[in-house]
Amino acid sequence: MAKRTPSIDTKNLTAVQLMELDSCTRCGECVKWCPTYAASGQKPGLAPRDKILRWRQYMNKSYGVKARLFGPEEIPQAELEEFKDDVHGCTTCGICATVCESGINTVELWEALRTNLVKKGIGPYGKQNMFPKLIGQYHNPYLLDQKDRLAWVPKDVKIEDKADIVYFTGCTAGYKQLALAFATSRVLNKLGIKFAMLGEDEWCCGSALIRTGQMHINDLPRETAKHNVEAIKKKGAKKVLFACAGCFRAAKVDWPRLLGQELPFEVVHITEFLADLIKKDKIKWEKSIDKTITYHDPCHLGRHVGVFDAPRYVLSHIPGVTFVEMDRVKEFQRCCGAGGGVKAGIPDLALAVAESRVKDALETNADILSSACPFCKRNLMDGRDALKADIEVEDVIVLVAQALGLSVEEPKQG
Amino acid sequence: MAYFSGLSDALRITFVQIMILSTIAIVVFLYGMIINFQKWGSGVTGYGLEPQEGKKGSAIRFLKTWWDQVTEESHHHGKPILEVLILDILFQRRILKRSPLRWFMHFTIFAGWMTLFALSGMMFGVEMTEKIGIELPFTPAEFREMLAVPNYIFGYILLIGVLIAVVRRLFVSEVREASIMYDWILLGGVFLVTISGFIADGIRTGFIWGFGLDPTTAPPAALFHSVISLFFCIAYIPYSKYIHVIATPLAILANKGGE
Repeated sequence: MAKRTPSIDTKNLTAVQLMELDSCTRCGECVKWCPTYAASGQKPGLAPRDKILRWRQYMNKSYGVKARLFGPEEIPQAELEEFKDDVHGCTTCGICATVCESGINTVELWEALRTNLVKKGIGPYGKQNMFPKLIGQYHNPYLLDQKDRLAWVPKDVKIEDKADIVYFTGCTAGYKQLALAFATSRVLNKLGIKFAMLGEDEWCCGSALIRTGQMHINDLPRETAKHNVEAIKKKGAKKVLFACAGCFRAAKVDWPRLLGQELPFEVVHITEFLADLIKKDKIKWEKSIDKTITYHDPCHLGRHVGVFDAPRYVLSHIPGVTFVEMDRVKEFQRCCGAGGGVKAGIPDLALAVAESRVKDALETNADILSSACPFCKRNLMDGRDALKADIEVEDVIVLVAQALGLSVEEPKQG
Repeated sequence: MAYFSGLSDALRITFVQIMILSTIAIVVFLYGMIINFQKWGSGVTGYGLEPQEGKKGSAIRFLKTWWDQVTEESHHHGKPILEVLILDILFQRRILKRSPLRWFMHFTIFAGWMTLFALSGMMFGVEMTEKIGIELPFTPAEFREMLAVPNYIFGYILLIGVLIAVVRRLFVSEVREASIMYDWILLGGVFLVTISGFIADGIRTGFIWGFGLDPTTAPPAALFHSVISLFFCIAYIPYSKYIHVIATPLAILANKGGE
């Protein structure tokens, strides 16, 4: 009789991650805090604790004592498919890691499990499988022409050919949410900051591939990271500014790891840059925004890399702003629901999470729900619209532009 | 050669018996740990990698990967290793941040369990020292008496934690409903070891925990306590939720205290 082989393998799962499965004490903290578990109506399979339990059982069935003595136990394909659905029903927001009493790095565990399953031909989820083709072929996930990377740039914005500072626009701001790009570029101009942009040489940061378990496909994230780093070096940049939390996280954490070396430039989020200028008294506000504003921490900016204070500092220094906090903020923030490929793969779930977050904001009676990520903004707006709530959703940099008397609109032709 | 002061020769537990049982427990433990290390070592050595073709899981690979992660530079969350050891592992700060009651429960179990384990180890060391002929300023019997007070104190500390854990798991609905056999066995084992220890000692000394039982049952009660202690405290660790006593500190260290 042929020897049975395990139904799963350990590709992409590190030895430490396999140990982490056994370190879970099932305290249930992750279940209490998980935004997708809550928004799904507490679907048991989405609970982080349950996912850890299942993969531990799979590991024991495949490589445990019983498997060693009597051979691996088969895991039905349908069960693995169901597991795939559940492991993709996660925004990789990382709250489970923050509250985990065993200190498990759950975000990387989920990403590794996704990649492991994708390599086995199970997953990704829904439209997420378009990312490798789109990013590989078009260098952006929106099927748009790379030549149009700078098509949004209005005549009043001055971009240097080479400069110490590069503004990395990101696909979403550069193609879809132009107000963010207008605001960032005009604010920098207004403050006298000379900056360059990569234009056609700016490729997708690779975040969508890494978060959805497709980092191995044609080695695309490494290729895009390498390309972007080289393009930034050619511009002579010492500092790269990001207004997109997803790109920022990718450049700060994923690029150095993919390339196996530290980057030859500083990676800075626009809110950190502005907070520094405010501290040096280099910003002269021109308008007052007489509104109450609350702030949603993007997971990729906050929990993933620890930028919590800079956006709050900027907002609270805008004249006329009354800053209020929501119930769940900073490291305990509730995710907007868009991350981890959920917006692309399971939009209904993303919307349900966004609604929860908008409700948090409504409880503060704020006029504006701000954030520092175009992806969060998009999903929070969808949540706001679904609730028919009367609250403005706006990015911090757009509010800064307004307070500096700048337009974030495209200039009228003629 | 008596290991425990039994009241009759027929029921006396001998040193040889305990040594045989301990050896069996340690062998079973080591076998399970090797299997676990090999299972963990079937993982890859770094981010985004694949296992080497044809290579089986290796304990050395696990230990090397773990150590590399402990010593690598952290981009954001890392804390100094000494801080992690003292505050996150010994003091269990991560549990305290989430739930003071659960921290108190777990910390009393941890402190009681580990201290009693250490005291038993010290007692074993003194017995062994005497067996190999090294003279100490006290006899094993005297040393046992010296340990009596700390044994009681930490026994009661353990008991408090165990009782909170039992009540919580039985009567808090969200905890009870989420419990699976994996959880029940852990708690059942800890409860059994703790209570049997109190009863064995109570029968021997005639104090309240003896429940008026015949003193001649002291040796078998002690034997029962010793056997299940060796089982749950050593042999069964790698095959059950008890593995968290090893894996959780290793995970916290690997992740530099966690996020």
